[in-house]
Amino acid sequence: MISVDVQYYALLREQAGTSRERVATSAATAQALYEELRARHQLTPEVSQLRVAIDGEFAGWHDALSDGAEVVFIPPVAGG
Amino acid sequence: MAHFEFSDRPLDAAALHATVEDRTCGGFASFEGWVRDFNDGRPVERLEYEAYALLAVKEGDRIIAEAMARFGVTHARCVHRVGELALGELAVWIGVSAPHRGEAFAACRYIIDEVKHRVPIWKKEHYVAGDSGWVNCERCAAAPTVTAHPHGAARGHDQDHDHDHGHDHATPRAPASVGVHAPGLPSPDYSRQRVLPEVGDAGQARLRTARVLVIGAGGLGAPVLGYLAGAGIGTIGVVDGDVLDTSNLHRQTIYSLADVGRPKALLAAERLRALNPEVDVRPYVQRADRSTLPPLAGGYDILVDCSDNFATRFVVNDVAVRLGKPAVAASIYQYEGQLQVVMPGGPCVRCVWPRATRPGVVGNCAEAGVLGPVPGVLGSMQALEVIKIVLGLESPACTGVLLVDLRTLETRRLRARRAAGCAGGPCTELDPVEPAPSLEMELDLATPGAAADFTVVDVRDPDEILARPLPVARLHIPAARLAAGAALPEGTGPVLLVCARGQRSLLAAEALVARGVSARSLRGGLAGQPRHA
Repeated sequence: MISVDVQYYALLREQAGTSRERVATSAATAQALYEELRARHQLTPEVSQLRVAIDGEFAGWHDALSDGAEVVFIPPVAGG
Repeated sequence: MAHFEFSDRPLDAAALHATVEDRTCGGFASFEGWVRDFNDGRPVERLEYEAYALLAVKEGDRIIAEAMARFGVTHARCVHRVGELALGELAVWIGVSAPHRGEAFAACRYIIDEVKHRVPIWKKEHYVAGDSGWVNCERCAAAPTVTAHPHGAARGHDQDHDHDHGHDHATPRAPASVGVHAPGLPSPDYSRQRVLPEVGDAGQARLRTARVLVIGAGGLGAPVLGYLAGAGIGTIGVVDGDVLDTSNLHRQTIYSLADVGRPKALLAAERLRALNPEVDVRPYVQRADRSTLPPLAGGYDILVDCSDNFATRFVVNDVAVRLGKPAVAASIYQYEGQLQVVMPGGPCVRCVWPRATRPGVVGNCAEAGVLGPVPGVLGSMQALEVIKIVLGLESPACTGVLLVDLRTLETRRLRARRAAGCAGGPCTELDPVEPAPSLEMELDLATPGAAADFTVVDVRDPDEILARPLPVARLHIPAARLAAGAALPEGTGPVLLVCARGQRSLLAAEALVARGVSARSLRGGLAGQPRHA
């Protein structure tokens, strides 16, 4: 198990009901973590609609997570 | 020697020529404008020019300075007549000398086009029939539009390509309708920004020559436009096809309740001109899409994406990347915003969002809700990024995306890399280029209903029209006037331009399309029409 700092933006923040949380997980990749959280919070967007950033940098969904990582899930926003 | 001046005495071209002679120059180009005996179908006997000299000379000097900076010419001078002129008299003289001919030609052309477009000069024509009428010159956007006549006077001068007051430039009007200037209006004062070491005189000059196209005049666009005009950005284009709605005003505070129902691009232009008469504001009442944006964008240095949908966001991004111009994009969702500066060669919007997103994920202000200051903050940041680019200051926002959460007041910078497929080369994620649609069309004007989708505009000169009338034409506006910025009456709709051989009409159609007007040109002109028994 690793512990990661998860942040949600926009629609995800609304659906998760929080903008950040500490998550203990056995997920190895960003995608596995998202699917886990998606089930827990009933998040509607699929990974194909989102971007993930790990430790301040946009990352791939198959990138590995390490203990203490900061993981940010970002949906596109278009309001103006 | 003054670069731009007015003269109430006849111009001596030879004497003027002598003032720009220079041994270091191998090329000289000159333009002379003469008083012509015909205007829009009416024989003219003589005319009078009148200018608001205080403002006009400033604007004229600015144009000359721009031409010298842009084309690197050695000498440039323009003298415009005021007062009474007889037929054939020299009305305007421009001379440019430069080491090489190319720069001289280009600068000369630039000066006459910009002078006609930007310098407030009026012309009173005295017709052979004995009457007379004032004809506003190409535009008077540089003239302050005073609050004493917020509609009549201001709109009377709001001639920058988008008439919303239903008259044609060619129509002589009574002097009373020409509008009001405000002598004694103070000049814009940039001292509070000029004192910054990063600005100074040099920075202010860069701001003045910058041309910025703002796509969207809504929640983000409103602060962007206000701050750019305030900063003295020389040319600001505004693209927006929407009219003002009451629900806009809580976050789009440059507008007024009384403006509801009017096109936002025109309203923004009025507001910006009142804020800073030195700015050349060009409104485009249209949506920005893959066919309309590219011809506009070429005339600007920086694009600012203040749109409210992802389709437009991709269009702005793609056009900027393809043209190698910086783009400053922002978008908001409730209390959050995302800011991305796209610089040539850096990660673009498609590096971050490779796929066009489905509706539903991307909330808009109507569905998701928004507090007014949220786009205000993000738009202000966009304006700041534009100014930084113009001043040559580095922006960390060009390395990725800045996430701003205005509820928690946290910001987070996320670095993005260029998409794997386009490292070191052109972006491979852009939508394929569609060939520019041809503006020419073929049809037989004699077939009933053939041109029913269009208002037919005869762009030939009056003597040609007299020699071979075209009854199907609803409007008569010479091509040169359209190309120089004359607007069509409000509500004209799509136009089909017709001339003798289809060349002048095509040029005029291109000019209209570049200003956001739906225009086509009859291929081959009247000469190409089938002969009917």
